[in-house]
Amino acid sequence: MKRRTLMTYSAAAVAAPMIGRVQAQAPTTVRWWYHFDNPQASPAELVAKFEKENPGIKVQAESIPWGGGNDYYTRMYAALVAGNGPDCAMVKLGNQSRLLQMKALEPLDAMIDKWPGKSDIAANLWKMHQAPDGKAYYMPLQYVVLYLYYRPDLFLAAGVQPPKTFDDFLKAALAVNKGDVAAFGMRGGAGGHDHWGSFVLGGGANFDKGGMLSPKALAANRWFVDLGTRHKLFPASAPTDGFRQIVDNFKAGRTAMTIHHIGSANEMVQALGDKVSAVPVPTDPDGKGWTSFGDESNAVFAASKAKEAAFRWVSFLSGADNNVAFNTFTGQLTVSTSGAAKWNLHPKRFVDATAASTGLMGTLPNDTKTADFTRTVWPQQMQRALLGQITPDAMMQSIEKHFHG
Amino acid sequence: MRRRSEHLPFLLPALLVTAVIVLYPALQTVWLSLHNFVLFDPDNIRFVGLGNFADILLRDELFWISLGNSLVWVVAAVGLQFLLGLVTALLLNQSFWGRSVARALVVVPWALPSVIIGLMWTWMYDLNLGVFNDMLLRAGLIDAPVAWLAQPSTALGAVILALVWQGFPFFSVMILAGLQTIPATYYEAAAMDGATRWQMLRYITLPSLREVIATALLLRMIWVANSLDVILVMTGGGPGYATHTLPLYAFLKAYSGMEFGYASALSLLMTLLLLVVVASYVRRVAKAALA
Repeated sequence: MKRRTLMTYSAAAVAAPMIGRVQAQAPTTVRWWYHFDNPQASPAELVAKFEKENPGIKVQAESIPWGGGNDYYTRMYAALVAGNGPDCAMVKLGNQSRLLQMKALEPLDAMIDKWPGKSDIAANLWKMHQAPDGKAYYMPLQYVVLYLYYRPDLFLAAGVQPPKTFDDFLKAALAVNKGDVAAFGMRGGAGGHDHWGSFVLGGGANFDKGGMLSPKALAANRWFVDLGTRHKLFPASAPTDGFRQIVDNFKAGRTAMTIHHIGSANEMVQALGDKVSAVPVPTDPDGKGWTSFGDESNAVFAASKAKEAAFRWVSFLSGADNNVAFNTFTGQLTVSTSGAAKWNLHPKRFVDATAASTGLMGTLPNDTKTADFTRTVWPQQMQRALLGQITPDAMMQSIEKHFHG
Repeated sequence: MRRRSEHLPFLLPALLVTAVIVLYPALQTVWLSLHNFVLFDPDNIRFVGLGNFADILLRDELFWISLGNSLVWVVAAVGLQFLLGLVTALLLNQSFWGRSVARALVVVPWALPSVIIGLMWTWMYDLNLGVFNDMLLRAGLIDAPVAWLAQPSTALGAVILALVWQGFPFFSVMILAGLQTIPATYYEAAAMDGATRWQMLRYITLPSLREVIATALLLRMIWVANSLDVILVMTGGGPGYATHTLPLYAFLKAYSGMEFGYASALSLLMTLLLLVVVASYVRRVAKAALA
């Protein structure tokens, strides 16, 4: 053996245990994708706290552009297909079926059962997050329930009460629809399916086969489209209005009602003070209705090589105090029961309206076609119906066809 | 023969780069277009031959609506950009105080990101807060604010106007550069012959700019035909299908429906249509290179 070769082997023999030790001590890195509406918000403090409590785990938090959900999920699907996905990520229920179809999700039941914080999240929240196969793939992180914002001063002047039923809604809307004030700030652009859902899904339509074409469903949709085309209760810009427009119109006093969630409550109060309040969305006379449950959860991906570490991080974010801290960034509601008891980030009347709405909350179907429905199919068909290009019934036929062919 | 083989090593790096960044994605698009490829369903990718193309051409009403909108979009946007660019270039070619500043400022819309332009114009058209409605109301031209982007009769025109504003500096700069190559003696001779300004424009300026204008028009037609960012931000293709163009349709099919096979077929059909314009441009460039 040549001298140089001998030296190389000797050096390697000495170094090998050291390398092994270094590798053993190297922390596990968890890549986590997140998105916040507020670009100033950062999870850095929570990451630092977690890493201090879990010295063996490093969290690499990667902010991914949301782009209305499209950018975020396109990147996620592409990364997962390419085998370069994160270990865990913020996800919504509407995309669960697509992720399941990709076999991308890791079932979390066993880890959740061992997690001490499980009982601090309400049973109905766990149930809402359950996949069709009965397993839990999502770790609840935050939620909102849509309610009806209204202007108490305008209602008082018009001599009407905040609506409880669809009939009340129409009466109140006709009474406050005066001059420059449109009764209802309807969102006809992307994301507006939540508004439509409160009246049409609440009025009897559903996503089962034939559920959009039942007499009750068709009547509810005709009634809803009539609010805009016949009664002129929506602003003229409603067909393309998005989140920013409905909130700004309401804040500027150009609409008397709109539907959104507690995430915009502080902004509304800042602009209108006591002249804004909220109630659950209207229902039929029997109290049956529908309002959108807006979730955000965390999922651990099946391809992750650090599943346990990833679960430790996502369960950390769902734990009481951490979850409250997390929701200060997003303006939404904590999933922790003990955290909710000391919640003081929003005026009480909006927290109460949210709580009063939980009995109505529902989600869109856990179906691979749902994301395209909300992003493209619903806005296009709703806009065409509002503009009189198609009948309300034709709109419902298009939705039925999208889901059931 | 020997000379040709000597060129090859020098061309090879450029050919390799072109193959990697142009040819490979193009071939992949062709491959995708022949498959039922849904991104979230990787286990069920299957070969469908020309099925996607048949569906598009024979059964997809939205394709034909989008094609019609695309034609209006390209002709109106490029035509108006050219006219505005020509007028601006002629003005900027005159001598006046602050000309350098004006020449610099005219490029600003071209330099702005499309998303910013889309958002800016969306708010300018806003029903309640928009500057357009405010100005028109004050001028007494309208009685009530108009929802420019929410009406099918005005939405496409409104988006085209935003794109005209973004794109006219390209024509201004190209034409201005061309104007400066026209010898002043032509105009002096024409003036001595008693030509009017209109006659100078018609018989000297425009013929001298023919090459520049043709190249700029061809390039801009290709870019505008492919562009979707401003539409996506301002209307998302709505209201209904009023601003739904072909590239937007392909984009929504790919990134909303995740139907990459169908979207690739749409893109290829659009490419075939554009090839007519591209071929004219390539022929023109080749002719200029040989001249």
